[in-house]
Amino acid sequence: MAEERLRYYILFANYEQGLALHDLLAEAGIPNRIAPAPRAIQGKLSCGMSLLLEPEAVEDARRCIAEHQAEYVDIVPLAGQIHARRDRYC
Amino acid sequence: MIYLDNAATTLHKPPPVIEAVTQAMSAMGNAARGAHGGALEASRTVYNTRVKLAKLFHCPRPDHVVFTANSTEALNIAIHGLLRPGGHAVTTDCEHNSVLRPLYRLEEEGLDLSFVPADRQGRVSLEDFRRLLRPDTQAVVCTHASNLTGNLLDIRRIGELAHQQGALLIVDASQTAGAIPIDMEEMGIDVLCFTGHKGLMGPQGTGGLCIRPGVEIAPWKVGGSGVHSYDRRQPQEYPTRLEAGTLNGHGIAGLSAALDFLAEVGAEAIEEKERLLMNRFYQGVSGLEGVTVYGDFSQPRRSAIVTLNIRDYDSSAVSDELSETYGIATRPGAHCAPRMHEALGTTDRGAVRFSFSWFNTEAEVDAAIRAVLELTED
Repeated sequence: MAEERLRYYILFANYEQGLALHDLLAEAGIPNRIAPAPRAIQGKLSCGMSLLLEPEAVEDARRCIAEHQAEYVDIVPLAGQIHARRDRYC
Repeated sequence: MIYLDNAATTLHKPPPVIEAVTQAMSAMGNAARGAHGGALEASRTVYNTRVKLAKLFHCPRPDHVVFTANSTEALNIAIHGLLRPGGHAVTTDCEHNSVLRPLYRLEEEGLDLSFVPADRQGRVSLEDFRRLLRPDTQAVVCTHASNLTGNLLDIRRIGELAHQQGALLIVDASQTAGAIPIDMEEMGIDVLCFTGHKGLMGPQGTGGLCIRPGVEIAPWKVGGSGVHSYDRRQPQEYPTRLEAGTLNGHGIAGLSAALDFLAEVGAEAIEEKERLLMNRFYQGVSGLEGVTVYGDFSQPRRSAIVTLNIRDYDSSAVSDELSETYGIATRPGAHCAPRMHEALGTTDRGAVRFSFSWFNTEAEVDAAIRAVLELTED
């Protein structure tokens, strides 16, 4: 069985913060994808969107955030829960 | 993309809606502002749309159809314009935040608020309405259908109970307008709040309220009306009383075309097709191991929504997987319905909502069933 891969979610107070950082990261060439914020890590935040990062992009993202003083709430690791098609074509 | 998030907004609109908005943006002046051709074109379009909505909802007077940007604005106008701190209101666990937050704000100012509880299938009991209504109840504010479960509330019976106590009935028809028949007079609705961009298949930024004659709603915004300009106070006649500022004429032109489309196709045909699609999906997924479906599917009539969870998965992860792997658009999370999730026991992970419209197909439903099946097979 393949090892569970951690993914990192950047959480926000609102969509505006998230979309602004999405553009910033894209301009900096840092791969990221808009995804629904998992309830398990969303806590009491009202915003349902997050930016999903692969582990190798996290440090670059942190540097970009610091450089631009971009607004965000947290960066949280979470193991992928769903693997329905993981071995389909193996 | 297979779009199954129609309870949030209908993404696929009838082509005449798009054409009407485009046409209006090149020909429409400002409604009720002047008498030149462009202004009259706008005024006629807006008035004709009021007439069509009054006919659709059985609102006794077209001039008691008031346009707003959406049903949230309509509900705020109705709730703040009719309820007063020191009074009492009844609402339900089924409500969207567009009902809850205006009521909570009034509660902080001294409104006494009672909630009709929902059970684990999202059902409410008429007996609870009867129990909670009091002689000093100012209004019952409730949804026609839950945006989470799709369950319908028995508005006619709730209206009877409210009126027996002298209370008004304010209905949030966000999920049903255009999709389920609504007869204000027969159902005893005093104020009907609707949005234009869901079941009515019109543009976003359109909505309104239909007001029974005799119900006096105080305006929360005042300003330009195009008439009585030298009066210091807002005109008291509907709809001007509640429509300060320029209307979304371009959007209303699209809504008008959408209403023509609905009339041409027929409300019964639309409801029947959406019901068939919903039932096909429900039949396909409800028996799958690891799938939990929420809501009361024994109801003969309900909004075309199927909400579920798969295994112990987070709803956001499921919805993301449906989108990224299968190209299926759904809505996870809390759906702005916190009390409904508490009633269903789904606050920890939310739920995945599939919602259907006239423009969906059986093939799309079958693809969604296959996707859910695969997600259960991990």
